[in-house]
Amino acid sequence: MAVMALGCSLAVQAQSRYALIGQSAPDFALHAAVGGNARLSEHRGEVVVLSFWSSRCTPCRTQLAALNRSLATYHSAGLAMFGIGVDDDPAQAREFARSASVSFALLLDPAKGVSRSYQVDNLPMTVLIDRSGTVRNVLRDYSPESEQLYLQQLRALLNE
Amino acid sequence: MLQMTRAMPPIDAAPRHAARTALLAPLLAGLLAALPPAALGAPPAGPEVTTPAASAAPPAGEPPAAESSPDTRGLDQEIQGLKKDVVDLNKDLFILEEELLFPANTQVAVFLSVDVGQFFALDSVQLKLDRKEVINYLYTPRELDALLKGGVQRLYLGNLKVGAHELVAFFSGKGPNERAYKRGASLRFEKGVGAKYLELKIDDRQRKLQPEFEIKDWE
Repeated sequence: MAVMALGCSLAVQAQSRYALIGQSAPDFALHAAVGGNARLSEHRGEVVVLSFWSSRCTPCRTQLAALNRSLATYHSAGLAMFGIGVDDDPAQAREFARSASVSFALLLDPAKGVSRSYQVDNLPMTVLIDRSGTVRNVLRDYSPESEQLYLQQLRALLNE
Repeated sequence: MLQMTRAMPPIDAAPRHAARTALLAPLLAGLLAALPPAALGAPPAGPEVTTPAASAAPPAGEPPAAESSPDTRGLDQEIQGLKKDVVDLNKDLFILEEELLFPANTQVAVFLSVDVGQFFALDSVQLKLDRKEVINYLYTPRELDALLKGGVQRLYLGNLKVGAHELVAFFSGKGPNERAYKRGASLRFEKGVGAKYLELKIDDRQRKLQPEFEIKDWE
C-alpha cells in the first residue's frame, strides 16, 4: 500500500514537471509501421493515448501489450490509441512493430519532430489527451503501479 | 466552377481558428449583455417585491410552474438565435480573414481530387512552387475515403506575384500490386491580376492500367 502511495506521489511529481499538462496537444500526422497513417486532430472528441516507444526499450513491449488490453476494454467508450516509435532506423522499428501484435496503429517518428514537441525524455512514456484535445496526464515509466494509475486516469477522462 | 470544400484544412489553420474564437468571445459577451434580462432568466429589476409566502403559494387558477413552458421555449429560441448569429459571424470573420491574408490579386489555391483510385493509393503529396517546398501533406485513411467519395481538398492557399510560375507536385503512395509508387507532375502557369486556382487530379488510366496525374489550371 505504501509502495503504491509512493508510486502515485512520484507520478504526480513527474506530472507537475511536464510542461504540456493543460496545454493543447500538438497536432501531428505520421506514417504507420502497422495500421493506417494517423493525424491527431482527426480524433478530437475521443480520449487519445499516445505511447512513445523504441525497439531497444525492453519495458515498452510489456507496456504496449498492457495498453492493447485497455484499448480492447475501452475502445467502445471513445478511446483512441497510438504508439509512436522514436527509432532512428525505420526498418528496425517496423520489425519491432510487426512483432508487437497490437490492435492500434504503431507510427514512425524517425525525424523525432513529434517526440520533440511532446518533450519525450524517458521511454516508455504515455501521454493522455482528453476529448477536447488537451494534455491531461503523463506517465514516464511502466510498472504495475503506474498501470493502475494509468487505468484510473483513463477512466476519469472517459467519464468526463 | 470548382467545388471548394473545407473538410480538411491544413494544420496551420488551428492557430487562426483560435484567434477567431478569441475575437468571437467578447462579441458573444456583448450580445448576451444586450439581451433583455427577462430573456436570460434574470428577475426583472424594479420596486416589486414578493414575499416568500406569496411566491410559495400560487393563487388559484394560475398555471403551475411546470406549465410555464412558453417562457422556456422563448428563451430556448433566443439562445438558438444567438448561436446562429455566432456561427454566421464566425463565417463572415473567416471570409474576411481570407480576403485580408490572401487578397484576390495575389491569391493562388491548389486543390486535390482523386477519381476512382483503383491503381493508386495516395499516401502523401509534396508541392513545390517555384522550386520552394510549400507543403508536404500526409493522408490518413479517413481523408482518402473522403477524397474517394468525391471530396475536393484545398491543399494549399498562398500568395504569388503576377508573372510566370512553376508548380511541381510529387505524389507518393502504393501503385498496382501494392508496390511503392512515386510520380511527379508539373505545370508552368501565368499568374494574372485575379485569383489563380489549380487542381491536382489523380485519375485511373484504364487502358494502361496505370494511374494518371494531371495539374489543371482553372481559368
